[in-house]
Amino acid sequence: MKLTKILLAVLLLALLVLPAILPAAMVNAAIQMLIAALFACAFNLLCGQGGMLSFGHAAYFGVGSFATLHAMNALNGEGLLPTPLLPLIGALGGFICGLCAGWFATKRAGVYFSMITLALAELLHSLAPHLSMLFGGEAGISSMRSPAWGLDFGDATQVYYLTLGWVVLSIALLYAFTLTPMGRLTFALRENGHRLQFLGYNVHRLRVLVFALSAMFAGIAGGLQALNLESANYVLFDMRFSAEVVLNTYIGGVNVFLGPVLGAALMTFFGNAASDLTQSWLLYQGLLFVLVMMFMPSGLAGLVLCWSAQIRRRGWLAVIPAALSALITAGLLSLAVVFAIETLQRVFSQDYQALLIADQPWPAISLFGREWLPGALLTWAMPLLLGLAGLLVLKLARRQWLRLLDDEPAAGPVALRSRVEGEQS
Amino acid sequence: MHTKTTLRLLTLGTTLFAGIACADPLKVALVETLSGPSAATGQMFRAATRFQIERLNAEGGWNGEPIQLIELDSQGTPAGASEKLKAAIGSGAQMIVQGASSVAAGQITEDVRKYNLRNKGKEVVFLNVGGEALELTGSKCHFYHFRFNGNAPIRVKTLVVAMKEAGALGSKVYSMNQNYSWGLDMEKAITENAATGGYQLVGKSLHDTQKVQDFSPYIARIQASGAETVLTGNWGNDLLLLMKASRSAGLKLRFGTAFLDQPGNLANAGDVALGHYVSHPFNIEAAGEEGERFATQYQASTGHLPAYIEPQTVFALQMVGNVLKKLPAQDGRLNTRSFALALEKASDSNPLGEVRMRTEDHQLLMPFVVSVVSKEARYKVDGTDMGFLPIKSFSADEAAAPVQDTCQMQRPE
Amino acid sequence: MEFLTVSLLNGVIYGLLLFMVSAGLTLIFGMMGVLNFAHASFYMVGAYLAYTLQKFVGFTSAVLLSTVLVGLLGVIVERFFLRRVHKHGHAHELLLTFGLTFIIAELIKLFYGNFSVEYRIPEFLNFAAFQVFNTDYPFYRLLMGGVSLLVFGLIYLLLTRTRVGIVVRAAIHRPQMAEALGHNVPLVFMAVFGIGAALAGLAGALAGAFYTTNPNMALELGVIVFVVVVVGGLGSMAGAMIASLLIGLISSFAVGVDLSLASLFGLLGAGDWAQQMGGLMTLKVSSVAATIPFALMLLILLIRPSGLMGEKG
Repeated sequence: MKLTKILLAVLLLALLVLPAILPAAMVNAAIQMLIAALFACAFNLLCGQGGMLSFGHAAYFGVGSFATLHAMNALNGEGLLPTPLLPLIGALGGFICGLCAGWFATKRAGVYFSMITLALAELLHSLAPHLSMLFGGEAGISSMRSPAWGLDFGDATQVYYLTLGWVVLSIALLYAFTLTPMGRLTFALRENGHRLQFLGYNVHRLRVLVFALSAMFAGIAGGLQALNLESANYVLFDMRFSAEVVLNTYIGGVNVFLGPVLGAALMTFFGNAASDLTQSWLLYQGLLFVLVMMFMPSGLAGLVLCWSAQIRRRGWLAVIPAALSALITAGLLSLAVVFAIETLQRVFSQDYQALLIADQPWPAISLFGREWLPGALLTWAMPLLLGLAGLLVLKLARRQWLRLLDDEPAAGPVALRSRVEGEQS
Repeated sequence: MHTKTTLRLLTLGTTLFAGIACADPLKVALVETLSGPSAATGQMFRAATRFQIERLNAEGGWNGEPIQLIELDSQGTPAGASEKLKAAIGSGAQMIVQGASSVAAGQITEDVRKYNLRNKGKEVVFLNVGGEALELTGSKCHFYHFRFNGNAPIRVKTLVVAMKEAGALGSKVYSMNQNYSWGLDMEKAITENAATGGYQLVGKSLHDTQKVQDFSPYIARIQASGAETVLTGNWGNDLLLLMKASRSAGLKLRFGTAFLDQPGNLANAGDVALGHYVSHPFNIEAAGEEGERFATQYQASTGHLPAYIEPQTVFALQMVGNVLKKLPAQDGRLNTRSFALALEKASDSNPLGEVRMRTEDHQLLMPFVVSVVSKEARYKVDGTDMGFLPIKSFSADEAAAPVQDTCQMQRPE
Repeated sequence: MEFLTVSLLNGVIYGLLLFMVSAGLTLIFGMMGVLNFAHASFYMVGAYLAYTLQKFVGFTSAVLLSTVLVGLLGVIVERFFLRRVHKHGHAHELLLTFGLTFIIAELIKLFYGNFSVEYRIPEFLNFAAFQVFNTDYPFYRLLMGGVSLLVFGLIYLLLTRTRVGIVVRAAIHRPQMAEALGHNVPLVFMAVFGIGAALAGLAGALAGAFYTTNPNMALELGVIVFVVVVVGGLGSMAGAMIASLLIGLISSFAVGVDLSLASLFGLLGAGDWAQQMGGLMTLKVSSVAATIPFALMLLILLIRPSGLMGEKG
C-alpha cells in the first residue's frame, strides 16, 4: 500500500512539472489525455463499479460541454462563476441529464439497459444538429475563455494546470465515493441487484443516483473539454465517442479503480501519435482491443497488478527473466504485424497501384527507411520470420511464467482474474 | 516514395521537438481527416498539397529554404482538428491547410481567429481549400481566413445557366439536399435561382446526411411532383444511391450536381450517371493545352489525373506560392500579416483562367466549368468509358456570387 | 394513391432486406445471449467478397459462394474468438465483437481502398418487372424480397418442423440441460453463428449490387439492424420479420410527410406560436426520417422491453 502511495505522489509531481519539460505541441495532447482519463473514470463508476454497461455516455460528456459553453457566453467569466469554476455548470448539466436519462434507462438491466442508453444517445445525436438554439446547428457554439483570478488563460500551460486541478480533484472524489456506504452499495448492485432489493434497498433509486453521478463527472470532463477547445458541436454526441470510452475503460481494466485512467491516457496518446504516422491506426487500435479482450480480460491494470504481485512474492530478480521474454515476445509479434500491415497497405494503396505498368515487376515500396520489392521473397518472409521468432519466445515466456506460478494449480486466465479481483476488494 | 517517408518522420520529429528548432523554414501544416470513415477525401487533399509543395520547393522554396509540410490527422472530428491545429502551431506552422470537412473548417477558422487575437505578431493564416459552408465567408469571416473553392450560390448559378443554355434544365425542378448547413445553403440557392433559370420549383426535400440506405421513397416523391430535373448538393453515397434509385425506377430525370466528380462515383453508378451535370472548379478538357500539361505533370507525380478537389488545392497553393515570392523574410521569418495583406489583393491565373482574391470577404473569385457525363469526353475516369465533357466555362466574374452582408471583417490597422 | 402504392412496395422490400440481415443477429442473440456488433460487418464482407468473386465465376455463383465463405468466417469468429472469452461473461463477448468491427472495416479499406467499388447488378437481372403508375418497378428489388421470404420460410420450417430445429431451440432455452441430454451444444452454437453470418453475407452480396458497396456500409446499416432486433424482441424470428417490415414501411412513408409538431399545434389553433418557437417544433418529419426508428426503439424498450414478439424479458 505504501508503495502505491509513493508511486501516486511521484506521478502527481511528474504531472505538475510536465509543461515545463514538454514542447508546446505536446501540452495539448497532455490535456486531452487528462480529460479522457477523467471521462473513463466517470464511466467506470457506472460500468465497472455499478455493472451497467452504457453505450451512450458521450451524450453526458457532450451536454456538459454545451452547458459550460453557454455559461461561458452568458456570464463572460464574470459574477459568481469565473472561468476556472465553469466546469461546475458542466457537472450540473451532466447531473440533470443523467437523472432524467438514468431514470428511464435503469428501469431495465443488462443488454436492455445498454440498448436504451444507445437509443437515447443516437436520438440526441440525430436531433442535435436541428436544434440550433441549444447546440448551434452543425457549426456548433464557440466562445472564448475570459481572464480570471489574475490569469488570462490564453496559452495551453494555464489550461493544462486548470484541467489537471479539476481532473485530480474529480478522480479523488470518485475514489472517495467508493469508500462511502453508497459506494459499497454500488458494488453490491453489480454483484447482485436482486439480493439488494430483498435487503430493503430501493434499487432503482440507487441505480439512478449512480447513473447521475457518473454523468455528472462525465459532464465535468465535457466542461473541461469546452474550456480547452472553446467550442463544441453536435459531433460530440457521435456513437464513436461513446464507443471510445468503452474501449478505453476496458483496455485499462474495469476492476481496478485507476485502470480506466491508465487505459484512457495510453489510448489517447496512442491515437494522437499513431494517427500521424500511419493511416491504419484504427486497425491497430482494433487489434489491440481484441487482444486485450481475449488474453487480458482484466485489462492492462490487471496485468500490472498480476506482475506486481509476483514481484512482491518472489522479488525483482526472479521475475525479470520472465518479464524480459514477455517484452521480447510482444515486441517481435507487434513488429511482425506492423510490418505485414504496412507493407500490404502500401502495396494496395491507390497511389501505388496507379504506378504499376503491366508485365513489369512492381516497384519497390519504402518502409522503415528501406526499400522493399513486393516481388522479393524477403519482403514477405520478414514478417513471417519475425512472427515465428515471436511465437518461439512466447513459448519460452509462457514456460517461465508458469514456473513462477508453479505452486498454484490451474494458472489460467480465470485464476488470474479472480486473483486480480481479490486484490482490490 | 523514400523521401516522403523520411520527410514524414522528419516532420514528426519536429512536431515533437519544436521547441528545440530555431532555424525557421516556412512551415505549412495540413490538418486533415486521414483515417476513419471519411478519410478518402482527406487523402486527396494531402496528395494535392504534397504535389504543389514539392513543386514550390523545386522552384526554390521560400527564403532560400524548402517549405516544410507538416501532415496531421484530425481523425475527422472537430476536437481532433482543434488539437492538431494547436500541435501544428506549437511546432511553428504559420499556414494551415484544410479542406475535407466543413465542420472541421468551422472549428479551425474559429481557433485561428482566437489564437491570432491572443498572439499579436505571431498570427497564423488558414487556407481553406475545401470547406464550402457559406458562413465561413459570412458570419465567421475574418482577416486570416481565405477560401479557395466554390460555395453553394456559385455552384447553383453556374449549373442553372449552363443547363438552361444546353436545353437540359426543363421547367420543373426539384431540390434534393442533405439536412445540414451545406444542404440548406444549396436549397436556398436553388430557390433563389428560379427566376434566372426560368423554372418552377415543384418540391424540395431535406434528408439525413449519409444515413439513408433506400432512396426509393424520395424518388416516389420526386416523381409525384412531376419534376424534370433534380438539383442536388448531395455527395458521396447520398448522391450515388439517389441516382441509382432514380434509374431503377425508370425515371428520365436529369441531375444537376455539385460533387458528381468524386472518384469512384462513375465506376459505381455506371451508365446511370450518363447525361447528368456537374458544376466544378476545373476540367482538364476545358482548360486546353495548359490544362493538359498540368494534368500530365500531376499524373507523373501522383499516379493519377487530377480530379475532384485536387486541382483547386493545387491552384490555391500555387497562388500562395506566387504571393510568397514577392515577400521578403523579416528577421528570418514570414510576416503573416504582410502575407495576408498581400494575398487579399492578389490575383493569379490557373489553366482555366484568371483568379482574384476578393478583399471584402476573402473568397477567391475563380472560373467554373459545368460538365456533363458523356462517353465523348476526352479524359475517361475511374477506368470506365465515361468522363466529364465540358459544356460551358464561366470566368471568375461570371461565376461570382455577391458578398454576404453578414461578413464584418476586422482588419489590422 | 400513387405515392401510397409505391411507398408500400418500397417499404416492404426494404423491410425484407433488413430482415435478412437481422435474422442472423436475432438468432445469435436468442441462442448465446450475445449482441453481435460485428454482424453488419459480415454484411459488408459479403458484398465485397461477391464483388471480388463475380469477376471470376459470374454473379450467381459469386453470391452463393460469398454466402458460404461469410458463413465460414462466422464459424471462425465463434470458434476461435468468442468461445475463448465466453467464460468472462456477455459484456466481454459483446465488446470483442465490437473490436472485430474495427478490424474488419479497416482491413476492407486496406485491400479495397476508401471509395465505393464498381459492384453493380448484372445486365441479365437489370430489367423492369412491371409498371406501377407509369414507373418501372425493378425486378431486382423483387428478387431481394423473394430471397428474403425464402430465407424466412426455410428457417422457420427448420426451427419448427425438424429434429435439428428442436435441438437448436432446446439449446437456446436450456443449454446445460441440452448438453446433459448428450447434444453437442458448442457445435450447435457454432453452426447457428455460422448460419447467421451467412445470412448477413447473402444480404450483403445481394444488396451491395443494388445499393453501393463501400467501406462504410456496415456503419450505415449496423445500428438500424440493432433497432430491428430490439423492437422485434431479441431472439424472436417472427418478431424480427414484423419489426423489419415496420421499420421499412416507416422509413418509406416518413419521407413523404411534411408535417411537423407545429402543424399538430396548428390543428389546436396554436400553430403560429409553435412556428415561432422553432427548434423541435418546426422540424419536418421527412427531414428526420432516420431518427424515427430510434424513437420507436426507445418507446418499445420502455413499454414492452422484451420487444413485440420477445419471450425473454
